[in-house]
Parts: sequence; structure tokens; C-alpha cells
Amino acid sequence: MGTRCGIMSPYSRLFGDHVRMPESLIAVIDALPYLLQGSMVTLVVVVGAMAFGFALGAPLAVGQVYGHPALRRFITIYVWFFRGIPLLVFLFLFYFGLCSALDINLSAFTVAIIVLGLISSAYQSQIFRGAILSLPEGQLKAARALGMSDFKAILFIIFPQALRLSIPGWSNEYSILLKDSAVTYALGVAEIMARTHFVATRTYQHLPLYFAAGVIFLVLTWVGTKALRLLEEKTRIPGYSPH
Amino acid sequence: MRRKRIWGVVLVLSALLILSATFAMAEEKVYINGIDANFPPFAFVDKSGNPDGFDVKSLDWIAKEMKFKVKHQPMDWDGIIPSLKAKKIDIVASGMSITDERKKEVNFSTSYWKIKQVLVGKKDAKITPEQAMIDGNKIGVQRGTTEAKWIDENLLKKGGKKFELIQYDSAPLAIEDVVNGRIIAAAMDDAPALDAAKKKPVKILGGFGMADEQFGYAIRKDDAEFLKKVNEGLKKLMKSPYWAELKKTYIDK
Repeated sequence: MGTRCGIMSPYSRLFGDHVRMPESLIAVIDALPYLLQGSMVTLVVVVGAMAFGFALGAPLAVGQVYGHPALRRFITIYVWFFRGIPLLVFLFLFYFGLCSALDINLSAFTVAIIVLGLISSAYQSQIFRGAILSLPEGQLKAARALGMSDFKAILFIIFPQALRLSIPGWSNEYSILLKDSAVTYALGVAEIMARTHFVATRTYQHLPLYFAAGVIFLVLTWVGTKALRLLEEKTRIPGYSPH
Repeated sequence: MRRKRIWGVVLVLSALLILSATFAMAEEKVYINGIDANFPPFAFVDKSGNPDGFDVKSLDWIAKEMKFKVKHQPMDWDGIIPSLKAKKIDIVASGMSITDERKKEVNFSTSYWKIKQVLVGKKDAKITPEQAMIDGNKIGVQRGTTEAKWIDENLLKKGGKKFELIQYDSAPLAIEDVVNGRIIAAAMDDAPALDAAKKKPVKILGGFGMADEQFGYAIRKDDAEFLKKVNEGLKKLMKSPYWAELKKTYIDK
């Protein structure tokens, strides 16, 4: 909509206006800073949701393995519930329904983190449950024999080991959350996909821009899984395996 | 030690989460304008990522004149009226047609723009809108728009026509499929159609029988005070020289 005087586009700043390149490339270069800002939004949403999901999911997993039968039943229903509802439906119900009914004014960004976090807590609880169940049963008995209470044994013996074992599961969860976060655009969260769409409708360069968005997602996935792999190696106890 | 470090990380992450949540809630109260940023030239996002467009600049002027603060929030068109009713946004100044059905849900400002509904086809197409809308053809439209509803009710259901109506997320995506040849034409408002014709090998084929519509700003029913303020500002804007300037910058280009 008309170039604005004084503000140079990223493209002209880099190459100058006399260098001719295909329209598609110019559109991508011009959009890149804006899209990368969006990837920060995406990352904050994903990391926030993972942290929130972890804070809820870890106790749920412990409860599901060691808890009272009634508690176990409740957690099973919880997991079924949050794994069963499509993300978009849940986002709409929470944002338009629950927030208005309770008259709390949460921003779309906050709702995105909460909803993704709740769904992630259900998945993360199962990652943890698997990790806890893969530990030999004798460990808990041995801890008890040493005089530890159940709570202490779980917190100091089971939990740290299960945490290490869940890291590979986490990288799965991270890459799924990363892509799920694109759906939050429906509420107006300005993450990568929303921004790609905005630029594409202005410039009519849909394919090159979606291609660029795909590359950004690939890089983010690589960075995240690499970081978790490093964490896995860092937290491994040399020469020790639970089995 | 290791254990402590892990809990430290968890603690920091939760603190960050809470912090971000409180930041989001502590924002100063300003009127939020929900826009469909996929609707150039009325509302879109400029190169540096700021909301721009005919409606955005109009409302900015009105806000300055009537002394209120406004922020433009890009969002999905499908959720725009629910958002308004749920008080997530306070106004929709984003090329919304005034219809009786929408009037049941929200109030509208005085109208500020007349639009025609047109069909857009390939640049080299030698067909009239009637020829495009024959049985078996595919016609594209943006989901949730007045034209989508009108075509479905009047041409398909009552009119007995048997072309296929393909619903898109936005009008530019429908244009994309016109260029690809997946659909023969796309129905949309004339202003975005002109915008598309400047950027893509497409042209306006003509109208398809839908009556002209008026654009207005949508405001919540219980916000009568705000509606009055906006109407007063809009009246001033349309009399000011800035109005012609806006038209020149965004529409007639």
C-alpha cells in the first residue's frame, strides 16, 4: 500500500533498490524480520505451555501410578478428556465460553498458553507414567527398606530417574506443540502462521512465504530437539542405567 | 545438586509463565478494534508488521478526534463477532457489511462505504459472470461473508443452480486458486477485487446480481455511548479533507 518515505524495506537495505531479484524472493526477505518476531511469540507460547504442562503432568503421572484407586480413575478421565477434544474446539470454548462465563479477561496469548498447557499436561503425564513404569519395582521397595517414606522415595528415587527417561518423549511433545501453536491464530495470537498469512494476503506471494514459514518451523524443531538431546546427555549419569 | 538444578529450571519457567500472564492482564484499557488483516485494502498488516488500511487509518483519525485510545487487533474473521460479544474486542472496523442478521447480534455505525459484489476470473478469461456460474463449475468465496451466504441461499438453494461453492479462509486464497485454475472465478467485494487485479493476473468479470451493500463499524449492543462517539467522529471524518486522501491512498490507487 504505497512505500512510505523514509522507511527502507529490509530488502533495499541489504541489496539496494537497483539489484533486481524475483518478486517472490523480495517478498520473503522483506517479511523475514516480521516472521522471526512471530517465531519468538511461537516459542514463548510453546515453552510456556510445556512448563505449564510439566507442572501439571508430573504430579498426575505420579498419582496415576501410585495414587488411590479413586484418584487414578479421576486422572484417567482427565487424560481422556484433554486428549480427546480437538485443540481448536477447546480454544474456542475456553476463550469465548469459559472466560466470558466467569467474567475473567484473559488475553488470547495467555489463553493459548493455558489451553496448550492443559492439553500438553495430559500427554506429558503419559510420558512420565511410561518412564516411572519402566523403572524396576525393586527400587521403591529398597528405598522403603532404607526407611524412606513413600513420598520421599518417589520424590528422591523415582522422580529424578523418570525425569531423565522422559526427555526423549519431551522432544516429541515439543515438536507437536510447536506445530499445534499455529492453531492459536484463530484467537488472534500473532505467531508465525498468522503473520505469514498477513504478508501473503498483502503481497499475493503465498507459496514463497509458506515455504519460508515451513523452513522457520524446521529450524525451530531442530533447535528444540537438539537442546533436549544436550539436556539428555548432560543429565545422564555415566555408566548408570536403571536396568 | 542435580535435583536442585532441575527444580530451579522448573521454578524459573513457572515464574516466567506467571509473569507473562500478569503482563498480558495489566495492559491499559484501550478500545480494541478487531480486524481481519487478510482484507486489503481495508485492513491488512504493513511491511513492518503494523495494522494498516483504509478502516484502520479511519478509526485512528476518529479516535484522535474524539479523544479515545484505540488498538488494532488482527484476528480470524470467523471469530470476530463472538469476540465482540465476549468483550474481547470493542469494535470491528474492518470492512463489515451491514446486514439484518448481524444487526440482531451487534449495533452498526452509520455506513461509510458502498460496495458491489463482483466475480473475479483469470485475466485472459472471456466469460461473463453468468457463463462462469453454470452448473458443474467451481466458484470460490470467503467463508462467513455475506456473499457466501447470499450465493448459497439465492443462487444454489432457491435459484436451483448447480455450480459448486468452494469456501476459503480469505479472499486472497480464493484468488490464488483462480490463478491456479482450480476454480473458474471467486466472488468478493469490489475493493479487494481491484487490489487483487493489481497484484495478480486476474480481472473483474462483473457483478452477479447481489444488491449493493454498505460497510459499517460493528459495536456491542450495550455500548451505546461508544457508538454515539464513533458516529460523531465518523461524521466529522467524512467531511474532512483526510477522507478524500484516504480514498486516494487506499482505494483508487
